[in-house]
Amino acid sequence: MSSDKLNLTLRVWRQSGPEDHGGFQTYKLSGVSTHMSFLEMLDVLNEKLIAEGEEPVAFDHDCREGICGMCSLMINGQAHGPDRGTTTCQLHMRRFTDGQTITIEPWRAVPFPVVRDLVVNRSAFDRVIQSGGYVSVNTGNAPDGNCIPVPSSTQETAMDAAACIGCGACVAACKNASAMLFVSAKVSQLATLPQGKAERSQRVVNMVAAMDREGFGSCTNTSECEAACPAEVSVSHIARLNREYSKAILFSDT
Amino acid sequence: MNALLRLLSIPALIMSRLPGLAPVIRALSTSVGQKLLMAVSGLSLVGFLVVHLAGNLQLFAGEDVFNAYAEKLHSLGPILGIAETGLFAMFALHIGLALSTASMNRLARRTAYDVRESKQGLSVLPSGGASSWMMVTGCVIFVFLTSHILDMKLKMGPGVDYTAALDAAGEATNSFAAVKAVLSHPPHAALYLAGLFALGIHLSHGISSALQTLGLNHRNWNWLFRTAGVVTAWTIAVGFMSVVFWALNQS
Repeated sequence: MSSDKLNLTLRVWRQSGPEDHGGFQTYKLSGVSTHMSFLEMLDVLNEKLIAEGEEPVAFDHDCREGICGMCSLMINGQAHGPDRGTTTCQLHMRRFTDGQTITIEPWRAVPFPVVRDLVVNRSAFDRVIQSGGYVSVNTGNAPDGNCIPVPSSTQETAMDAAACIGCGACVAACKNASAMLFVSAKVSQLATLPQGKAERSQRVVNMVAAMDREGFGSCTNTSECEAACPAEVSVSHIARLNREYSKAILFSDT
Repeated sequence: MNALLRLLSIPALIMSRLPGLAPVIRALSTSVGQKLLMAVSGLSLVGFLVVHLAGNLQLFAGEDVFNAYAEKLHSLGPILGIAETGLFAMFALHIGLALSTASMNRLARRTAYDVRESKQGLSVLPSGGASSWMMVTGCVIFVFLTSHILDMKLKMGPGVDYTAALDAAGEATNSFAAVKAVLSHPPHAALYLAGLFALGIHLSHGISSALQTLGLNHRNWNWLFRTAGVVTAWTIAVGFMSVVFWALNQS
């Protein structure tokens, strides 16, 4: 069936290394199956490029089932493409139309330098997590189940925040390249659970300081991050981050 | 451009680097701390606007009522001075933080996207709603504010005929007449309406944004915060506009 096949024009950002200026390259790709995922379409492009003796396009990917947070593409100006709550690997070519031009760019933020083509270095996120995104107090052996009662609604709130896969779409989509949603997800997840409460004050202060050090922008409550987040982490966690931060700086002893 | 941005981000950088400051000051100079200050100063200014509007609406009660109110206000002496100093400090803080955070935000993304598309639903304003227009509307409000102080406080509005407001000593003490003189001057009326329109847009994002920054967010009440923010914003803007239209109608 001809409607299963797309002829596409791809405008892909090519950059040979961190120091290179980079620019867009246009490729024609015909006979793209609508059942392919976006990354499979790029695989097909790369096989074509290799066959023609050209360098394949470098892009990040790993699990290809939407949970690892490695894939990171700005597709036609939208992080992870046009769908909500979807990573690039879970985006399918049926969302595009025959003859369409697709512009593919890497995440753009100073803390996320381009390594090559569409691959960016997201170590900045790791350094933010290293500054406090964990529980370090010794709480002894694992307690018996139900020893520490956590209400179901609290579990759900913590789980909604923990759903963050650290892909960086929030930073990519934010007009200020702010990492507030990412940081708030971790702060919120740990601050709502009993294990994380012990260090909540130092954690929020340290993580905000680490976020600032990396050079992320500030939040203007545009909520574009929430719309772009493949894990649908809500900006209500940013409000909790703000509350945690105010409490920590105004009333904490540490 | 980059040099200018760096220059503007210096206050924020200095604030975040100064050693020996009280921990709270240092804490308030981080990105989240600056947001909190932005929200507090913004909401204080909204509080001022409400009081200011209440005063202005007395124009409709006639010359005697309004002038009595103005006289009472001026007779407060030192209290008025303290209030005005606080008000100017709030404006300076709000504008200063806006410039420094905006330039830090710019520095966080040096290469712009070639294609940009919002994932949020349609908004009234292009490129992501009022939140993307805070700097533009803020600048319009600043021009309006500068002119407003020149016209009303210093009675030095260019092209305005203050003769009706003069007393026997040649001082422009009749506030009612001065307001009418400024607002019935078409270029001033146009600037005031533009400034107030920008204020409506600015506050329609600003009020609910400040509440979110201060941590007021709950799924049961978010619709109320947003609606109340927009309604308050346009009530204030339209309230002040009504004074301009009234003056234009009087002349």
